[in-house]
Amino acid sequence: MVDHEELARPWTLPPDDPRLQPYAKNPARAEKVIAACFIFAILCLAAFGASYWQAASERVMGGFLAVGLFALGFGIAAWGKYLTPRGPFEEPRHILHGTQLEQEAFQAAVVERAEVVIGRRPFLIKLLAMAGGITAVVMAFPLLRSLGPLPGKSLFHTPWRKGSRVVTASGRAITVDDLEVGGILTVFPEQAPGSAVAQTLLIRVATEPIVTQPGRETWGPAGYLAFSKVCTHAGCPVTLYEEQFQQLLCPCHQSLFDIYDGAVPVFGPAPRPLPQLPLMVDDQGYLRAQADYDQPIGPGFWERTTT
Amino acid sequence: MKRFSFSRSKRSFDGDGRDGSSRAHRARRTRRQKSSSSLVLYRLLPMAVVVAVVAVGFLSAGTATKASASTPKGSTHSKGSGSSAAADPSSSVTHEPFPIKGSSGYLPSEPGSAGPEEFGLQPGENGAPKSGYPTITFKNANVKEGYALFQANCASCHGPDAAGTEIAPNLQGLGAATIDFWVSTGRMPLANADIQAAIKPRRLDPAQTHDVVAWVTSLDPGGPGVPLVDLSHASLAQGQSLFTLNCAGCHTITGAGDALSGGAFAPTLHIATPRQVAEAIRTGPGNMPRFGPGNLSTQQVDDIVAYVTGPIQHPDNPGGFGLGGIGPVAEGFVALLIGVGGLMLIGYWIGDRT
Amino acid sequence: MSTQAAQGPTRPQSRTRPARKDRKGSAVDRSLNWIDDRLGVSKAGRTFMDKIFPDHWSFMLGEIALYSFVVLVATGIFLTLYYIPSSKEVIYHGSYLPLKGRKMSEAYLSTVNLSLKVRFGLVMRQAHHWAADVFVGAIAVHMCRVFFTGAFRRPRELNWAVGVTLLTLAIVNGFIGYSLPGDLISGTGLRIMFSIILSIPLIGTYLAFFLFGGNYPGNGIIIPRLFIIHVLIVPAIIAALIGAHLFLLVRQKHTQFAGPGRREDNVVGSPMWPNFMLKTTGFQAMVAAVLLGLGAFAQINPIWQFGPYVPYKVSYAVQPDWYMAWLDGALRIMPSWEFAGFGHTIPLEVTLPAVVLPGLTFGLFYAWPFLEARFTGDYLPHHILDRPRDRPRRTGLGAGILAFYFVLFGASSTDVLANYLHVSLNAVLWSFRVLVFVVPVIVGFLAYEISKELAALPDSGKRKRAMIVERTPQGEYLAEPAEPRPGDGTEELEPEPVPVHMPVAELVGSGSLGDETGTEAGPAGVRQVER
Repeated sequence: MVDHEELARPWTLPPDDPRLQPYAKNPARAEKVIAACFIFAILCLAAFGASYWQAASERVMGGFLAVGLFALGFGIAAWGKYLTPRGPFEEPRHILHGTQLEQEAFQAAVVERAEVVIGRRPFLIKLLAMAGGITAVVMAFPLLRSLGPLPGKSLFHTPWRKGSRVVTASGRAITVDDLEVGGILTVFPEQAPGSAVAQTLLIRVATEPIVTQPGRETWGPAGYLAFSKVCTHAGCPVTLYEEQFQQLLCPCHQSLFDIYDGAVPVFGPAPRPLPQLPLMVDDQGYLRAQADYDQPIGPGFWERTTT
Repeated sequence: MKRFSFSRSKRSFDGDGRDGSSRAHRARRTRRQKSSSSLVLYRLLPMAVVVAVVAVGFLSAGTATKASASTPKGSTHSKGSGSSAAADPSSSVTHEPFPIKGSSGYLPSEPGSAGPEEFGLQPGENGAPKSGYPTITFKNANVKEGYALFQANCASCHGPDAAGTEIAPNLQGLGAATIDFWVSTGRMPLANADIQAAIKPRRLDPAQTHDVVAWVTSLDPGGPGVPLVDLSHASLAQGQSLFTLNCAGCHTITGAGDALSGGAFAPTLHIATPRQVAEAIRTGPGNMPRFGPGNLSTQQVDDIVAYVTGPIQHPDNPGGFGLGGIGPVAEGFVALLIGVGGLMLIGYWIGDRT
Repeated sequence: MSTQAAQGPTRPQSRTRPARKDRKGSAVDRSLNWIDDRLGVSKAGRTFMDKIFPDHWSFMLGEIALYSFVVLVATGIFLTLYYIPSSKEVIYHGSYLPLKGRKMSEAYLSTVNLSLKVRFGLVMRQAHHWAADVFVGAIAVHMCRVFFTGAFRRPRELNWAVGVTLLTLAIVNGFIGYSLPGDLISGTGLRIMFSIILSIPLIGTYLAFFLFGGNYPGNGIIIPRLFIIHVLIVPAIIAALIGAHLFLLVRQKHTQFAGPGRREDNVVGSPMWPNFMLKTTGFQAMVAAVLLGLGAFAQINPIWQFGPYVPYKVSYAVQPDWYMAWLDGALRIMPSWEFAGFGHTIPLEVTLPAVVLPGLTFGLFYAWPFLEARFTGDYLPHHILDRPRDRPRRTGLGAGILAFYFVLFGASSTDVLANYLHVSLNAVLWSFRVLVFVVPVIVGFLAYEISKELAALPDSGKRKRAMIVERTPQGEYLAEPAEPRPGDGTEELEPEPVPVHMPVAELVGSGSLGDETGTEAGPAGVRQVER
């Protein structure tokens, strides 16, 4: 069979064909520039090797390598751009799809042979579908279920307990005299210092007891207030205590909470107040929690019931 | 026991040497004027970031008019806003634990005008309430001079007896550290009533500052004293840890500072002297919380001061240009403008042949 | 079609196979024969060598992404030799004083060490990070090119879908890589990611617990899991999809802009070998050079400054890398619309911007070729590209959508903007809540109008030629085009199939190719084309 297309592709063109001439107006000069690039690249890359051997600074090593590679790449690209046949050349673009006959044959092969399998053995195909389905389901067990524990009720409580002493991350118990008015401290229950969910911001706003919301009459002894440090928006630690404005600002998405109003959000994307931890002072002057938070801390989730 | 439903400006005197209502006065002050201080070169790179979205400034024109309460750095600083450190005993006992590479515009310079000072380690002197940490007093401060300077520079707002007026808080009992911090950082005397006083070149030189501090503390010796900073045993590792827990939340991890709500901002830490850092920790100026000795020990404050005046103010930046220390915002612009943009130019050169 | 090429005009004479004396000589010849014997590649091989790449600068954008990926793999392999994916608590005893004696995860320690201790490690790590930023950026720019020129139309819808998948995977892997060092900032990012997964209704809690191995921060398994996703699973998929992307490109052949000799049934440009191979190899080296240069001179993500991640510590001014910033911006400007009722909570303030928005975004991207075909009724195959101005509605819509994401991107730096502009944070945030709707409308409308205006001008995009106005003695005015200036017109030869042999009569010096101004008659087959 004669390949017409192959015949149409020329073996050669006359040497003076303009398509074969380099793109550069002055090829000799371009060659010199490219040669200079390569020499420079060789020097720089050698210098990189030397500087690595001599343990030069990262900047020197990286600089030599980058400059050397750039010169090398520039030379190669300039070679390709200026000293190769300028063209233009073309190639035909074939129609991708087959002839109507080919398409029909393909369709028939797929559909009619499927009929052999599906149409004649409906019972088998149902069983096969069931087998496939059960494979998918049971494979999901080891692939998904083993990854982690079920949530259970773990999002609904924190390590804070009734009577938990308030301690710092290093475990130092906090007494009622430790903070001055306007002071803040990140605290934890004594049984879980450093806990990510129990992290609480202790703020002293006054010396006399503070009530932030009705029903929280005893929660703020001696001017101490404690709020969950986990933002109710996306869970970032809310650390920015604006002492003058008596507001807490979340550093991630700038939700703003009003401390005196029970840390209700006054600005930004946070939907709920920061839960407040009820505090008390024991006989020796140590701060203790009256109970765990009265609601789940942190960002919202599906199972969270309305409070 | 009372419910805190009332306005914040009604906060009572807390008996701890600090006048709550005076702080609230500052909060209530919302007169906004344009500050005269200008932007300096240090800001240019981040400003480039800002230009793209400058329309924000127009839309919020009401607040924009009070813009540019900028914090002068570098050149303006060398006029002496940080000069006290050089003449400070805390610096004489300081050895710099962090290797500072190259010179930096943040290094305080000696103004020369202020003569040598005498200091004494006097915790709880004159029957004053103990600060709970080692303090220094300005021994050769001239109370009389301080009175004169106060009348000339401060009394118009704070009143002739420093007891406060409608527009400015009572200074009595605020403590030497508070007065020294506000005056030595140039925030006081206030040039413009803004939402927040800005750092600017100090009007009173160190000796004058000490005089004023001495006079004001002579009225009421209470309040936090000027902390003694001793960095000879400071731990940078502890400092970094404490900094990320207590400071980075507002001042950012590189100490560059950032915006707070309502137009307030956490200032940059890059031009603070060791003593100013310690004073700020102990007194909690403005919106900053206060870290008393029950919260941070003297050693811990020294650790933080060492970290701030070391790696924060003089970052090593082994990776190259620090890009303003503002993280992915600047990095993104470099990646897109220099990286993608530069490579597009190269691609333009390679690909274009027509 | 094959005969059509043969019947083209002005065909050069010699197309017969010339005698080659050295036909059996060289070792390269023998090896090629050896390979052909076993694989039968000679015909396809020559076709591949002759493969035509149209010359246009905008066709190089995808290559930036491709070569950034090569750099990512190369530097990434280097990093895996030193990085330890472990949450195990260890103590740092290295040279960086602010971390000395501190407890940290092994992941963080190894990242600090590979930055400050391993020779050339810092440049490699930074180049890796810059390459990731540039990779996503180049994909985005490339995608804009494809979109605004209509290159996604039939028959290239599948390749468009592959490209959108590549963009998604690049963003995902970038974020995961950002999380691996275990520094303070990356840990905060993971915390937000946990909350975002948690916000998905019904299954979110389970997904988050399964991925992290428990309630945040999990049982320490997240770092090894992210590691294997980052270095094996996603890169393998990306590599496979890049292969598919390029295979489809070769199979369907590249699109081209309209021009002389360019038709729907041909491709005009430079051949694969030697032109394109040299250019593209050089480009690879230059991409690597730029990324390494950035790695050497521009500090990125200095994790040693940030300290190890501790769940109760945080830094202000925390932003994700730029390609995630639009999600962060959306999270910031979203109002606090939590749905609570029926015993359940849907945190819409997180779900909408961080789950629904990206879902809609990429869904729209996938669906666009089909949506557009449906709305325009144009189901025909297209190989000649649109100029953006020729499709004002598409250009306007695309510009508006792009502007939407730009505004979200800007909204991720509300705090930084407020600080540097000295504007209230609240004012900046409210501005963005308005701008996010206003700017896209304005930009889209302007792009639409400008496109329409440009398309109406017959000579738009072409260089203007000066006109000389003459007044005849009779008082008549005549306007004539002035003499062309250098570069006004350029020679464009008729395209020719690539010959096997390329004998070049090396002509040194200028002038041999005809006058560049195009005033002289060029060789046969040359015609004047106005730019």
